[in-house]
Amino acid sequence: MSEEYIIEMRHITKRFPGIVANDDVSIQIRKGEIYALLGENGAGKSTLMSMLFGMYEPDEGEIYVKGKKVHITSPNYATKLNIGMVHQHFKLVSNYTIAENIIMGMEPVKKVLGLFPTVDIKKANEDIRKLSEEYGLEVDPTQVIEKVNVSIRQRVEILKMLYREAEILIFDEPTAVLTPQEIEFLLQIIRNLRDSGKTIILITHKLEEIKQVADRCAILNRGKIVDVLNVAETSTKTMANLMVGREVSFTVDKPPARFGETVLDVQNMTVRNQDNFDVVKNVSFQVHRGEIFAIAGVSGNGQIELADAIAGLMEVASGRVMLNGEDITHMPIRRRTEKGISYIPEDRQEFGLELDFTLRDNLALKSYYKEPFSGRGGVLRPDEFEKYGQKLIEEYDIRSGQGTMTQVRSMSGGNQQKAIVGREIELQSDLMIFVQPTRGLDIGAIENIHKQIIAERNKGKAILLISLELDEIMNCADTIGVIYNGAIDKIAPAETLTMNQVGEFMMGVKSK
Amino acid sequence: MKKICVKLLGNDRTQFIAIPIFSILLSLIVGMIIIAGLGKYPLTAYMNLLQGSGLMPKPAYSAYQGMLTDFMSFLNMLTPMMFAALSVAVAQKAGLFNIGVSGQMLAAGFVATVTVGYSEMTAVIAKPLVILIGIVVGMLVGALVGFLKYRFNINEVVSTIMINYIVQYLTSFFINTRYIDEISRQSRAVSRASRLTLMQVTVGELKVDIPLCIILAVIIAVLMKFLLDRTSLGFEIKAVGSNRNAARYAGISVGKTMVVSMMISGALAGLAGVTYYMGYLESIQPKVLTDTGFDAIAVALLGNNNPIGVIFSSFLITGVTKGSSYMSAASGIETEIASVITGLILLFSACSAFIRYEVKKWKTELEEAERRNADVKNNH
Repeated sequence: MSEEYIIEMRHITKRFPGIVANDDVSIQIRKGEIYALLGENGAGKSTLMSMLFGMYEPDEGEIYVKGKKVHITSPNYATKLNIGMVHQHFKLVSNYTIAENIIMGMEPVKKVLGLFPTVDIKKANEDIRKLSEEYGLEVDPTQVIEKVNVSIRQRVEILKMLYREAEILIFDEPTAVLTPQEIEFLLQIIRNLRDSGKTIILITHKLEEIKQVADRCAILNRGKIVDVLNVAETSTKTMANLMVGREVSFTVDKPPARFGETVLDVQNMTVRNQDNFDVVKNVSFQVHRGEIFAIAGVSGNGQIELADAIAGLMEVASGRVMLNGEDITHMPIRRRTEKGISYIPEDRQEFGLELDFTLRDNLALKSYYKEPFSGRGGVLRPDEFEKYGQKLIEEYDIRSGQGTMTQVRSMSGGNQQKAIVGREIELQSDLMIFVQPTRGLDIGAIENIHKQIIAERNKGKAILLISLELDEIMNCADTIGVIYNGAIDKIAPAETLTMNQVGEFMMGVKSK
Repeated sequence: MKKICVKLLGNDRTQFIAIPIFSILLSLIVGMIIIAGLGKYPLTAYMNLLQGSGLMPKPAYSAYQGMLTDFMSFLNMLTPMMFAALSVAVAQKAGLFNIGVSGQMLAAGFVATVTVGYSEMTAVIAKPLVILIGIVVGMLVGALVGFLKYRFNINEVVSTIMINYIVQYLTSFFINTRYIDEISRQSRAVSRASRLTLMQVTVGELKVDIPLCIILAVIIAVLMKFLLDRTSLGFEIKAVGSNRNAARYAGISVGKTMVVSMMISGALAGLAGVTYYMGYLESIQPKVLTDTGFDAIAVALLGNNNPIGVIFSSFLITGVTKGSSYMSAASGIETEIASVITGLILLFSACSAFIRYEVKKWKTELEEAERRNADVKNNH
């Protein structure tokens, strides 16, 4: 039993009904290294780490921590073994302060009058401030969670682990929600952590990050380890090819844009949320035929509400929305769809899909009431649903267990997304609103969807692309608008902006 | 053990029926243990239940009585239950919990009683009119609930419970002041012509009650199945029921769909009302809501909110209820035990998702094992 590995997972196999998520996977992690797990969506990275964190138990295989064989039956036990995990979705109480969130479950207690136990919040604040300084996290423990941005929330999650004395830190896709500047900052934190002796496991599908921070990298494909590489000696290209299992091209072929007439004309639009707060402020822009207009912005700056308002899911408080010269500001959603709006919403499970419906019903979710799906008297024709479903499954490479009759809930996130993308493109609307169209997809699928978006643009569709991924925006956009705090202050042709400039506008650093 | 379970329950095509049957059998077995614990013979008790519902012959009958008499009286009780359960099921499909079926039944029953029930109309006119009034009154109450939900976002559970009270006290006020029968302390009996059950009809040597609407109930169940599965309205109802946000996103008018579903649900409750108060019974007891509307919630659950499933589940639950009095008389088991059995059936049915999950797990395990065995053989 070699002592140099802090974690060893040997011959791990984990099955879920109908799928083998991990197939005889063995990894060995040294103390004090940054170990990356690279793989496409559904390759089994998260499953493997969930087992290390005690959320599942492996069907076969053994786990050794610090040379001792362990059965990690729960996250609590994993915490006892000094293993911590930062999840993709943060688990924080939003109306508590940062310190309160961190100490929850292991509060420092003092006794008032030597009798009544109370939480010693002063000590907690002090401890956390010290921890934060030690690793360069720059967090103020007295702030309330709902008042701080995503990047800080993530750092709170990191502090939560450090407070619990974690030595092995698992990061699950930590950069998905961050701006380039914030990513830099996070990667620096990760390096700091390693330098002070922590062991880091980084789950990601972003090659750049691995190249920047990781020491070693295990590549997973379809539940199996393909290779374990020393990052310094390997090119990103090689890693990408191993991960996808074939040659990948990073740039998208894009012929020069030829703009036609205006399709979408948003004039001084303001949108209020339920708390009567202006989330979109006096926004104006146009999208033309043959144009990809991309809106860049940090999550939560009003871009979702902007899209919802144009699609009719949120009300416009003031201003106008024109589609092909017609005022649609107060039109019902179905009329807008019929007038020519496709919409891929940000939240695919809550809005984009009926999870308990079959795949074919979901593919016809916006056209079920029309010919050919529905005849006179509103009687549906299952044959037409089937035919249409088959067609889209083939064209958009939607993979599912039981074909058209699969319950969408049981499909993987990536395939759910493909189903929505297929359905919306197939509507052949003049205006297509894509919000985060490739979120959670793997490289191969992203490439495909970008190609499809550009093909639609070449056909003369107007495309409004809203994304948190700057790469995506830089790759696809003809025009870029940057939204910050509900306002679009910067609109410029894509070729006149660099990625860093866009990033600065997104942070509100530059104005005008 | 696992192998047998997988073989019986593992087939995806037959699962929808195999698993409910399995849960029912399981609950009947537990029921037997309870009856045995009371010191009675379980099988005799179950036989008594069947005998009481006219599904098995009793050892002896009094004059003009026979198995058919019991069975027809069972059907008479079944009819309103089936309508009521369909009412709950349709609302449930739209994601609405209609807990006010009893109130809607009473409203429909009352209006039909005072208009047609106390008139001189002939049977040919009176009976269809009673049905029509039942549908319309129920539909109006349902529409009100749907409207309150759509316009003012009032939770349908609250509004239906409140409407239950309103209907209960309003009808009892009118019955007590105008329609009371001094001897029975109930509303006066409705005319024979208007009643939806033909009472004491001589068939051969027997006298039986013939519930005219049982056929209608089955037809409507089939119609509801068609409506939900094969029409765009049904598609909308289910879309709204399973995810309101996604339905709105798809361009479905959520408010309109909810109002329409509540109208359908109310209409079915109205049918339950007229078949109950002017078929199974002939008068209304003031200030009392029938249990039927509440039992219907359980029946709909057992039928998985599927209209065809509801036919069978109402058959089963009504059978247990109807048979309980004979079971009590013949074996000396309290009628409450019937409620215990009903409760067990519901409890086990609620576990069906769990059973399905377990069976699926076992199935994968077995397949894996088989594959491994096959590999070993191939290697030799």
